[in-house]
Amino acid sequence: MPDIVFLLLFFFMVSATMKQPEDHVKIKIPPAHALTKVQKQFLIKELHIGKPKNVSFGIGYKISAENQIIQLSDIGHWVETQRASLDEAYKNQMIVLLKADVDADMGLIMDVQQELRKHQARKILYRTLEE
Amino acid sequence: MKRTKRRLDVTISAGSMADIAFLLLIFFLVATTLDKDKGLMMQLPPDVSPTITEIKDRNLFKIHINSSNKFLIEDEMRPDLEGLVAEIKEFVLNPNARPNLAENPKKAIISIKTQRGTSYAFFIETLDQIKEAYYQMYGEKLGLSSDEFRKLDRSDPSKSDMYVFARSGLPMNISIAEPDLFKSL
Repeated sequence: MPDIVFLLLFFFMVSATMKQPEDHVKIKIPPAHALTKVQKQFLIKELHIGKPKNVSFGIGYKISAENQIIQLSDIGHWVETQRASLDEAYKNQMIVLLKADVDADMGLIMDVQQELRKHQARKILYRTLEE
Repeated sequence: MKRTKRRLDVTISAGSMADIAFLLLIFFLVATTLDKDKGLMMQLPPDVSPTITEIKDRNLFKIHINSSNKFLIEDEMRPDLEGLVAEIKEFVLNPNARPNLAENPKKAIISIKTQRGTSYAFFIETLDQIKEAYYQMYGEKLGLSSDEFRKLDRSDPSKSDMYVFARSGLPMNISIAEPDLFKSL
């Protein structure tokens, strides 16, 4: 009996693939080479930019945070909530991880950055894949 | 006469299966990293009304990417970013003291300007090349490649000193211009 259990464990360990967290937008991350690594992972807060999977949200590029489609004007509120979740000492060190699709419009990304600047969230990490 | 028929024992011994399973499990636990914490880092400028600062044209390396993803580098049309890393290095360090390149590395600024309609991929590609150029310069100061420089373990004091030394006097001045408010028709 234990043998069978372990054989099953082997089988699932080998065949399992990591499930991507469910998200409302479709994103293909661009590749880059000169990557930097963040030491304190808890400082990272994610913003996603991609085309919604569900067309009822529209067909253009949308911003998604915390698994919800948000508007440009909601970013300020999002920044404040995320900052509140950090410890006192790290409040001004928050890093916004911008996970955007390769074909996303720079106009939208610039707008997002302007919004982040307005709310003093100025550290940006553009999510890229290692080439 | 009774003959005992010798048969080959075909069962696989599974006694050590559990140990192997646990070893594998521990190996994968240790070896798996979720690399969601890697990317290109950028510091945005503070949100204050723009002040007018005189920057000499020679200290500014201009990269424009227009809405049809065409590059304009130092007022010259380019089909791609070939050779950009070498150009940036020459611009920043200016080894031959040319009058049209940066006065000194501290004053050198690399400016990226994108437009509405520019594809994110082209912006990232450009930013990547600029960062690569700087990391190569930092690495060269220590006799390392850019990859080796980026992998320096900064928790080690002696390596941290090396890191600080390499970056001193060679700030990574990358400027992202303010966006245009409306798409030009």
